[in-house]
Amino acid sequence: MTLQTNADAETQPVLVAEDIVTGYDGHEVLHGVSIQSHPGVTCIFGPNGSGKSTLLKSLNGVVPVWSGSIQYGDTEVTDLSPDEMVGSGIATLPQGGGVFGTMTVAENLSLGAFTVDDPTVVEERKAEVLEAFPALEDKLDAKAKSLSGGQQMMVSLGRAMMTGADTYLMDEPSAGLAPTLVDDAFDLLETLVDRGARIILIEQNVVAALRLADYIYILAEGDLQFEGTPSELGQQEDLMELYLGIE
Amino acid sequence: MDLFIQTLINGLLLGGIYISVGIGFALVFGVLEVIDFAVGEYVMVGAFAGSVLAAGLGIDALFVVPLVFVAFYAIGFFVQPFLHHVTTSNVPMPILMALVFTFGVAFFARGGILTTFGPNTREVPTSIATGGVTVSAIGTFPVARVLTGIFGIVAVAAFLYYLYNTKGGLAIRAIAEDRTDARLMGINIARYQSVAYGMYAGLTATAGVFIGIIFAADPGMGMQYTAFAFFMVVLAGMGYLPGIIVSGLVLGVAQAMFSTYVSGAWVFFVLFALVYVVLLVSPQGILGRGEPVS
Repeated sequence: MTLQTNADAETQPVLVAEDIVTGYDGHEVLHGVSIQSHPGVTCIFGPNGSGKSTLLKSLNGVVPVWSGSIQYGDTEVTDLSPDEMVGSGIATLPQGGGVFGTMTVAENLSLGAFTVDDPTVVEERKAEVLEAFPALEDKLDAKAKSLSGGQQMMVSLGRAMMTGADTYLMDEPSAGLAPTLVDDAFDLLETLVDRGARIILIEQNVVAALRLADYIYILAEGDLQFEGTPSELGQQEDLMELYLGIE
Repeated sequence: MDLFIQTLINGLLLGGIYISVGIGFALVFGVLEVIDFAVGEYVMVGAFAGSVLAAGLGIDALFVVPLVFVAFYAIGFFVQPFLHHVTTSNVPMPILMALVFTFGVAFFARGGILTTFGPNTREVPTSIATGGVTVSAIGTFPVARVLTGIFGIVAVAAFLYYLYNTKGGLAIRAIAEDRTDARLMGINIARYQSVAYGMYAGLTATAGVFIGIIFAADPGMGMQYTAFAFFMVVLAGMGYLPGIIVSGLVLGVAQAMFSTYVSGAWVFFVLFALVYVVLLVSPQGILGRGEPVS
């Protein structure tokens, strides 16, 4: 699985979650949610406590699914652990980017390629990452925590690219970024989309995320309230106001 | 002056082996989030393993060191899943439960050795690590201590090389920094925690063989090294591995100096007074590089 060009975007494996029920410690949070990855950026919006973080964590295996199924392309991935998910081609960007601050940028990138055994593939991907984010070239030996917020975002995205994944799950990548940097950060996401990746994005910052959304799910109280394209959502002013606080 | 330099060198040599005890202990704290109360008992059982294997096979204790490492790596690999279960099961305060668990391991080890071998000390037989080396103008140093110091330094260098230059080491450091994010990189946490715990057990037990060569194997020796390990980690700064090198040497030199110039009986008092002062003045360790003690 290498990074692919935009032309392949339509043929990427689709992540399909059907009727997901799960929660924590016997407390049900999701009551049967079905979503799938669409070409480009699929956004999941919803108020705090709606279960969107739990949904993402069930997709990447961090939270076990109680019932329902998750398919990736032709592969059944419902019960895989998070480390096995990465090997299947689904990468997760942790909340706020989640770079390993005490490690160098180069080490962070190597961690992205942890499941890749072929050193030539690792080198190729590293070259692609540095081509996509040339600013990292001079920072390879710097500790990640010494970088600016925007550069850390590049490390996080670059590290995810190193996995060779076709699908990226992102949990509020803009969390912790200065407001002025949020738009820049989302521009970086476009880099991945241009390379044919599908992104499932959870974001509190609805206005910024709407700009790049190709498909939208709205989740509230553990159930889907809406799914459709941004223009379809635009016609539902009541929904926009009720769940997203946009008037 | 000669006595001072001789004491200093003796202390540094002792410090070398203390580092190899402290560094594994510190790693386990970082990677498993477990305070392993059994650390000193791995030293003790390692010393007995060295004694029994060397006597049984009729070879020098120095030659059973690799065997002891492999055996205790395997033991650590076997013990870790239990620790993992204790720290990840749905109990309040898993860190406390893990401490209780390692308390149990410590008593089990000590009781097992007492039952099997009785309360007496056992010699760890060696013919190579005997006699002394004379350094002109300074004095004579026991070969056992010189080899022990050198082993400590080589073992720690190998350990740090593994951590900072291999894929497994990268995984272990990532787990120490953030367990959840490490999983999202595709790292199998349980497996690398087992590797880390195995390396710690192996390193600590082989240090025990050398300590046994110097002082003999004694069923009651473990507690002292557990206390030393705590001392080194606090002095180094929680979570800051390279700090262990400094605190291990400080420990060795402090012990040697107090035994020579004051009295061996005061060593523990002085060490823990020092820990108290460090926690008051610089909670992030003497180098100020650890995580603050909360």
